[in-house]
Amino acid sequence: MASSIGQYLKHAKDAAATIFEGMSVTMSHFVRKPYTIQYPDRTAVRVQDTLPLRYRGILEVDLEICTGCLACERACPIDCIVIDAPKDKVTRAMLLSRFDIDIAKCMYCGLCSEVCPTGSIHHTTEFEGADYSLESMIRRFVKDPVLAYKAKKGEETDPLIAPILDRGMEFLAEWAEPVDMKKYKKDQEEAAS
Amino acid sequence: MSLAGYEFEVQRDDGLATEEMTLNMGPQHPSTHGVLRFVVKADGEIMRTALPDIGYLHRSIEKISEKVGYHGFMPYTDRVDYVSAMQCNQGWAMVCERAAGIEVPRRGEFCRVIACELGRIASHLLSVGTMVMDIGGMTPFTHAIREREKVNNLLEDLCGARLTFNYMRIGGVAWDLPPGYTEQVTAFLDQFEPLIDEYNDLISYNKIYVERLANVAAVSKEEAINYNLVGPNLRGCGFQYDVRRDEPYSIYPELDFEVPVGTGEVGTLGDCFDRYMVRIKELKESCKIVRQCLEMIPDGPVLARVAKKLKPPVGDAHVRVEASRGDMGWYVVSDGSEFPYRTKIRTGSFSAMSIVDKLSRGLMIADLIALIASLDVVAPEVDR
Repeated sequence: MASSIGQYLKHAKDAAATIFEGMSVTMSHFVRKPYTIQYPDRTAVRVQDTLPLRYRGILEVDLEICTGCLACERACPIDCIVIDAPKDKVTRAMLLSRFDIDIAKCMYCGLCSEVCPTGSIHHTTEFEGADYSLESMIRRFVKDPVLAYKAKKGEETDPLIAPILDRGMEFLAEWAEPVDMKKYKKDQEEAAS
Repeated sequence: MSLAGYEFEVQRDDGLATEEMTLNMGPQHPSTHGVLRFVVKADGEIMRTALPDIGYLHRSIEKISEKVGYHGFMPYTDRVDYVSAMQCNQGWAMVCERAAGIEVPRRGEFCRVIACELGRIASHLLSVGTMVMDIGGMTPFTHAIREREKVNNLLEDLCGARLTFNYMRIGGVAWDLPPGYTEQVTAFLDQFEPLIDEYNDLISYNKIYVERLANVAAVSKEEAINYNLVGPNLRGCGFQYDVRRDEPYSIYPELDFEVPVGTGEVGTLGDCFDRYMVRIKELKESCKIVRQCLEMIPDGPVLARVAKKLKPPVGDAHVRVEASRGDMGWYVVSDGSEFPYRTKIRTGSFSAMSIVDKLSRGLMIADLIALIASLDVVAPEVDR
């Protein structure tokens, strides 16, 4: 009987001691810098502006530099991108008559922007996409059919398109450059010898 | 689901008639970590059986792989275990590389391991945090989540997403480390490692917490092997097995790290506390691995050129990776076309479900929560 009371008191003492140990950690947080931020209205800068360039937010298309190559449509695993690019019957030039992205379906995997040759389709840092209807979740980028962009030899000279292309290349530069491993190894061996 | 064969008669010495009670825990119970249902047959507070009813989160991920091809399946592997998606990415990338005979650049392997170990830290932090919350302690959860948020920020800088990373590609990784990443990660590790000890002060050795977990649902070594427990659950029983060490892949053989095991320091070997403590110790080991990788990482490319329409030769391949919830098996059968003929994913949470019925007999209903939390079951990984 006496031992069980002693046991009970020892447990109570241990519990109290360890609780105080834990509480000292909690108390020490009163003097530390707070880590929480008051989203969305009390942040110093917009959260979107603090995100890295790689951030995979809602997709955006720069139609001015879209070549109509359909690489993104083919790469998308859930077919949320729909592009219609018929050839103009008279001039034989490629027209973009439809470029829809269903952001309700999109899973932000980045496979489409990885394959884009000009960086036309890319992720923005925008992530607040809530809306009232499914129909409004489909982003339609083509208002009137436009001519597809044709890559030029050398530098882009059009002053309207050059900055957009530069921005697209900035997005492209983030992705890793694939290398041919056989060639790479050969080069390494040559450099070593 | 059928409970045939699990009926029982309640007999009491004093002649009072009692009835067995069937109780549904879940599918929307906050402590089952996802949509998971347990059919509990109880006599008062004492459980006779607790049968897991799985399948609520089945998304036929394996079947999807047969329709989207090898490259397109990569984002879906994030959804196999969304708490630690990096290792799932690595499993799929590795099994495709083995099937098609692709070599990964050395820097790519280092990027993979850094990302995986950061992912493991995030996953174990969530695991220990929610475990304490399930037991009833609210504060430690916020401490764990705060640190996990910092890991998520690091991974966001690396690959642009916080949970469904889609970081790896067949043949390497999609993004190289961003500039200044080494300093960022080192700064995080420097401030994080002391916080593990602080976390231990806060909760791990708290008397009430220890009493709640010690001697609850102890698993012996033999049982664990018979029921196919893997990962921290297996190591919690004192059995030292880690795929990273015993069946090495990637660059793990070059790294120096310990495999922590349960020691039964507060009660029986293999009880809930041991499984919990293994995860705490693994946090430190993961920090160690990340530090070594950041030191050893060579220059060079991170991604090998792979055909857009990958067509591995006819045959099959199997790899195992050590995910946060243990040994994860990836198996793919190729028929020479651009779509896999069959994909099979074997996960740690699924095999952990089989032992719940065995362990729950004779436990209190409240201890079932401690048991599930200590097994670190993630429902999407059970069903896939």
